[in-house]
Amino acid sequence: MNMVRLIILAVLGLGAIWFAWRVFMTSSMVRSALSLLASMAILGIIFLVLEAEFLGILQIMMMATEMSIMAIFMMMYMMDPGGMGNMDMSHQKKLSIGVGIFSGATVILLVAFSDWGRIAIQIPEASKQNYDLGMELMKRSMMIFETAGTSILVAMIATVLPFKNRKKNNQKSTDNG
Amino acid sequence: MMWIIILLLFLVSLHLIAVVERWSIYKNWEFGHPFSVFMSHFVQENVKPRKHDKTFYETAPILFITVAVLTIGILPLADSLVIVNIATGALFFNAALAYIMVALLMAGWAPNGFYAMVGGWRFLGQLIAYSMPIVMAITATVMRAESMNMLEVVRSQADLWNIIYQPVGFVLFYVASLALAFLPPFDLPDAPGELTGGVFAEFTGMRLLVFRIGRLILIFTLSLAITNFFLGGPLGPWLPGFVWVFLKTMMVVTSFFFAGRLMPRLRHDHILEWSWKYGTPAALFNILWVGILLLL
Repeated sequence: MNMVRLIILAVLGLGAIWFAWRVFMTSSMVRSALSLLASMAILGIIFLVLEAEFLGILQIMMMATEMSIMAIFMMMYMMDPGGMGNMDMSHQKKLSIGVGIFSGATVILLVAFSDWGRIAIQIPEASKQNYDLGMELMKRSMMIFETAGTSILVAMIATVLPFKNRKKNNQKSTDNG
Repeated sequence: MMWIIILLLFLVSLHLIAVVERWSIYKNWEFGHPFSVFMSHFVQENVKPRKHDKTFYETAPILFITVAVLTIGILPLADSLVIVNIATGALFFNAALAYIMVALLMAGWAPNGFYAMVGGWRFLGQLIAYSMPIVMAITATVMRAESMNMLEVVRSQADLWNIIYQPVGFVLFYVASLALAFLPPFDLPDAPGELTGGVFAEFTGMRLLVFRIGRLILIFTLSLAITNFFLGGPLGPWLPGFVWVFLKTMMVVTSFFFAGRLMPRLRHDHILEWSWKYGTPAALFNILWVGILLLL
């Protein structure tokens, strides 16, 4: 890996960390979500710099939609979504700091002691890339995708449903009254 | 030389799109009008709303136009001529379009105004609903080409264009393109006459100019995408490739405005309902259809 690329990676990495920090330094939910999007999109660019083209573009694409959906969900459920009411929305500080440090350390240990295999020197041609990707998605990664997809869907339905019932009850009570 | 011609054709296309859009509303051809509108934005006062979100307010127009321009980069403009030839071109097209939504979300949120915010959130729902059929329609074209490289997608249509090979995919892509460029009947985010300009309500002067040019480029990009994914791109007899691309793109643009003006503006809940209930299953059927054809 040459020097220029290393410097670009370092700058991008710092950018990702800066935006990740911004997520917690603002009280506006939309700013927070879009900062996270910026951080994640920079991770996608890091993939591109590392020549993992598909992963990079996929990351950039997925995050745009995901973070926008997150923004609208936070808008719906937060009492002060614009952050202009000076509400303190943080809680369980000690626990979250503990969990943060523990999971961060775990990730660093995993990165340091994993066997990453040998580095690919040659990039396969476009059709071979598609083929490899299909094999990977349909074999080993299928279970992860299915589990994650289903749980996200269940969570979304579960958060919307209680409000639907409440609306019905309200209507009933106004009808009676 | 080739590049100069293509650049000129691109500028002519933008001008024509603006003229055709005006024709579709007022039913008269005014070739000078886009220039006078262009100039008027320079002398317009830059009014900023109170307590706006500065970062988003400045970022949104730039992000919008950048994304629209970037997307042209991966689409073939002539025979085996594409600005950036990447292996995952078809996926990149999608990734770029997702940021149109981010830009409009920012534009809706930033001015701290009611109409803009309603427009921004409306577009969020609209784009998420309609990016599903578009992704799946692209998937089917990619299946036929066995590659996500755009040149391969064009090459796979040498015998038969995708519009005949997978008509369902074409219809879905076409309708979803109208929704993505918020053209009528899907013009809910800016909704002239209802939301007083919607997402663009609080933008004036240069920022609005950037948005309007970005919108023209977006319409051009989507027509170019339809040309390349379904109409064989530069393939065609007698004329050179870039002329075919230009002609087909202009034809698609004109059909956009023609189709749009024949329809009333649709209700927001109907738009979303039709996409999720009928569009997405139809797109899945299209993938199955192409899969069967490929195996035969």
